[in-house]
Amino acid sequence: MSEQQSGDSQQMVQHGETDATADGRASVEDGSTRESALTGDALELSYPTSEEPVVECDRIDIPRGEITALVGPNGSGKSTLLKSLAKQLSPDTGNVYLDGKSITEYDDKAFARELGLLSQQHDSPTSLTVEDLVYHGRYPHRSFFEQVSDDDHDAVERAIDLAGVEHIRDKQIGNLSGGQSQLAWIAMVLAQDTDVLLLDEPTTYLDLHHQLRVLETVRQLNEERGVTVAVVLHDIAQAARFADYLVAMQDGELYDWGPPREVVTEELLADVFRVEAAVNYTPDPEIVPKHSL
Amino acid sequence: MSGTTPTEQSSGSVLNRLFGWIDGSLVSLCLASLVVVVAGGLVQVSFGAFSMTIGEAWRAVFDPAVIFDPQVWQVFLLGGELPDLSRRTLIVWNIRLPRVFVAALVGANLAISGAIFQAVTRNELASPFILGVSSGAGLLILLTLVVFSGLAAYLPLLAALGGMFAFVLVYLIAWKNGTSPVRLVLAGVIVGTVFQSLQTGLFFFVDDIGVVQSAIAWTTGSLTGTDWEQVRMALPWSIIAIGLALGSSRQLNVLLLGEQTARSLGMSIEKVRFALSGVAVLAAAASIAVAGIVGFVGLVVPHLVRNVVGSDYKRLVVGCLFAGPALMVAADVGARLALNPIQLPVGVVTGLVGGPYFLYLMRKQQNIGEV
Repeated sequence: MSEQQSGDSQQMVQHGETDATADGRASVEDGSTRESALTGDALELSYPTSEEPVVECDRIDIPRGEITALVGPNGSGKSTLLKSLAKQLSPDTGNVYLDGKSITEYDDKAFARELGLLSQQHDSPTSLTVEDLVYHGRYPHRSFFEQVSDDDHDAVERAIDLAGVEHIRDKQIGNLSGGQSQLAWIAMVLAQDTDVLLLDEPTTYLDLHHQLRVLETVRQLNEERGVTVAVVLHDIAQAARFADYLVAMQDGELYDWGPPREVVTEELLADVFRVEAAVNYTPDPEIVPKHSL
Repeated sequence: MSGTTPTEQSSGSVLNRLFGWIDGSLVSLCLASLVVVVAGGLVQVSFGAFSMTIGEAWRAVFDPAVIFDPQVWQVFLLGGELPDLSRRTLIVWNIRLPRVFVAALVGANLAISGAIFQAVTRNELASPFILGVSSGAGLLILLTLVVFSGLAAYLPLLAALGGMFAFVLVYLIAWKNGTSPVRLVLAGVIVGTVFQSLQTGLFFFVDDIGVVQSAIAWTTGSLTGTDWEQVRMALPWSIIAIGLALGSSRQLNVLLLGEQTARSLGMSIEKVRFALSGVAVLAAAASIAVAGIVGFVGLVVPHLVRNVVGSDYKRLVVGCLFAGPALMVAADVGARLALNPIQLPVGVVTGLVGGPYFLYLMRKQQNIGEV
């Protein structure tokens, strides 16, 4: 992104934020003035098959340049909320703003250059190689018939390097383990080269080694390139250690949000996750579940 | 590419990007297909009611009076009066070879059309006719032959239009805040069933066996009596459809990643899906206009090519361009010469070849049906 462009988007953010404050809805818990990259406002989300809204959320902020984890029990609406933030599900009411601009105003490709999404489920032809998959991440940067450019090539090399899939780049997806294939898919969204990255349960079903590999890759991306990340995580202990900011959901509503230290409490575990647990900070958060409630 | 050093990569990268996807399996497939087309073509020009030796047929094929005469080519491709040619040359170039060319065009169009529909519906068993094209064309063929016999001269055009109309109808039925592969296929079944019934019903109103035979030839696909007229009719549309298909290979590949991924990569999926289906229908309609509804080619060829070159559409489309003509030309040899002097509709032969091929696949492969 050029200086000029980033200056513009900065202004738009501020514009968006003042709007939100005028609404009286902007409320950041810890009192600091976090700037949000992505904002959901008065969202009501439902699927064609559901009668009641699945998610109702007055306001959600994904702070810029930080890692936000969405946590909550099964069926609490985390993935649904993420989908609407990623323009995959249009809300019944309300709106989502990216850099202060409503996401409905973005054209599909322009949006995909700003925001990447890795869905929970993805399938691909088994004979596709890792490198070819990563090249597909460049889709929004190319016009219909355009050939691969040097920028595409560089972005793919960077993504392959960052995700650590160099040694398997010529392998076919069908021959990879679950963990390897997840890293290959992460490399694909990295090649998309976006400022905002949304990940839906990227560590579920992976062994511990690959869980950490995925999270470390995301952390590195966030630290080195300032990418804003929102990630749905199943494991609250992992989320508490890993994220800068937590959003806890319950029954399609936001229960609490803020830095993990403030959000992860014994009360939250009892209310939201229905487990009795001890929470200690040493200084890393440690959660010791005792029994279900 | 992983084994090369950075310097090698940058110097060879342009070439690599342009041609790096061509691999040994694709080249062998194309060469093998070419051999089949040439051999089949040679058999077709040598045998028939006016018989000649292979040597004579060869000489006629390479008759310099044709090959190096732009005027003759102009007549072939644009129409007009042919200059004086030897009798053998005339038979080869004006009767037997155009039939081979039409077969090749039809094979390429159907194969590409099937390959596109297999990506659009994400179903390896999709054919060019899955979205109602064949039933729409078939109904209009019967209507023209039985009810509006005055329009018989426009039959090729009407058949192609019928196919396109059915496709649009399928899309309208499937549309509800967008479509999905499953909705499209179901709508295709609905339109197909109704149109098929109407078409069968129309057969009852035919009392002339000649009309019945003509209707069967059109609805099973036949190359009998095709000449340069058919080449002229199909060629422009084929070039457009083939060009678009080659240019769309990346879109097709992204579609294979699933709807959700395609959308999150910024693909306007409804537009792309409709446009690609349109290209596939254009290719199918061009082949229907000259040969009627030839079954199985569009289903079998992409399948066979995928088994050889993998599912990358850059290779798959090119492979289909060669393998489609090979199957079609070979099948037409059987259709024309197996029961000489009776000529079978070529669709009968492609069906006879296609069925056993799938039987073989079913026995051999566990994961059949996966794109």
